[in-house]
Amino acid sequence: MIEVEGSTESIKDLQYAAVTISATIIIFFVVYWIIQIDSVRELLELAYG
Amino acid sequence: MINELIYDFAIWLDDSAWSTLLHESYYMYNWVESIHVLTLVVCLGMLFMIDLRMLGYALPNVPASNIARRLNMPMLIGFAIMFITGILLFYAVPVRTSQSVWFRVKMILLVACAVNAYLFHRRMNESVSSWDHDTKAPDRIRFGAIFSLGFWSLVVICGRLVAYDWFDCEYTDSDNFSQLLSGCIAGQERF
Amino acid sequence: MSALGSTSSTSYGKTITVAVLLFILLTFSFTDLRYQTWLRLYEFFLWLETTPFGVIGKTWGAVFAVVEAIHLLAMALLGGAVIVGDARLLGWLFIDVPAREILDKAHKVFVVGLTVVLITGIFMACGVAGKIYWLPVFWYKMLALATGIFFVFFIRRPLLRHPLEEIHPRVTKLIAISSMLLWFTVAATGRWIGFAGS
Repeated sequence: MIEVEGSTESIKDLQYAAVTISATIIIFFVVYWIIQIDSVRELLELAYG
Repeated sequence: MINELIYDFAIWLDDSAWSTLLHESYYMYNWVESIHVLTLVVCLGMLFMIDLRMLGYALPNVPASNIARRLNMPMLIGFAIMFITGILLFYAVPVRTSQSVWFRVKMILLVACAVNAYLFHRRMNESVSSWDHDTKAPDRIRFGAIFSLGFWSLVVICGRLVAYDWFDCEYTDSDNFSQLLSGCIAGQERF
Repeated sequence: MSALGSTSSTSYGKTITVAVLLFILLTFSFTDLRYQTWLRLYEFFLWLETTPFGVIGKTWGAVFAVVEAIHLLAMALLGGAVIVGDARLLGWLFIDVPAREILDKAHKVFVVGLTVVLITGIFMACGVAGKIYWLPVFWYKMLALATGIFFVFFIRRPLLRHPLEEIHPRVTKLIAISSMLLWFTVAATGRWIGFAGS
């Protein structure tokens, strides 16, 4: 990261915030879709054995 | 005559084992349908960006040919997936779909889209070097972009309406005008 | 990423806001509060069906279908803008064009798409309020959508107003990937609302 006077603080803040929310989104995405796909698989197993 | 041919073809498709499997598989059918609709975002999303660039609304400072060339690939990939899943959707429910007014209009519109796209590309390749950096493309190209936006919007609307059964052969009277457009066969037993 | 342990609290307003919101959201999701709120919202959803939007949507199937199609078209616009912007951030497309140019213009298209999607979406929700209230997938979609709007306007846009060279390249890539995943989820769960009711 290049340190620039003045806007450095707010850009640091924004980057931390961006990393936090992005990580949350990616974790949620993975968990949500794994659960979705797994529940489909279970249903198919129930239906066709 | 042609309607009988279409009907016979649809019945033949309908009788194949895979068609029934796909139709009856709740999840598989929904996934195919979802992919069909979601790739619409990729394909039409790119197409709209190209068209809006020609009209001067999106990315006016980027050379037009640059936009058209770069976005062409994702657009075609999206189109290919839409095309394949579209065929699968037809294959799963052939009789009803082939006798849907909306589906028939959609197919005609798709042909119009193809012709328009061909003309659009030919015109653009002929002359792009002279207006590449202009905010708006020349009139001929702009009309092509407007037609493209219009046709594809109608394709989406018709595609969405295929799902509704207002004009299905099964639920309309034989003297209804829609039966003519849908190509319903007098006394047909399968829908 | 250095200085992770920095204690200057005044200049970390956005990070703190995100962390606090996340905490509230998690507390809300894993306690009885979520269920209680859901119960209270029932009246509101019943009321939605009686609004002009709800009445039109329920009475005229054709209007509802056309609005659905417009919703889809606007989604294509929104998706196109997201893909173009994120692909530029990831360095997949238009690397010879200044990122600022692509990002700013793509954002304008995004805002138009989002506006139309929201208006048509509210219309549709009013028409089928009594149905979607019972669908978990609808609530997941709302969660994803709210996150998306917050993410774009509160974090992504302000961050990308800074010169890209000042932003850590991994952060840039991270927000591009999460943005694509998020909007994909919004669209996919939206499609699933239609299936879940049949």
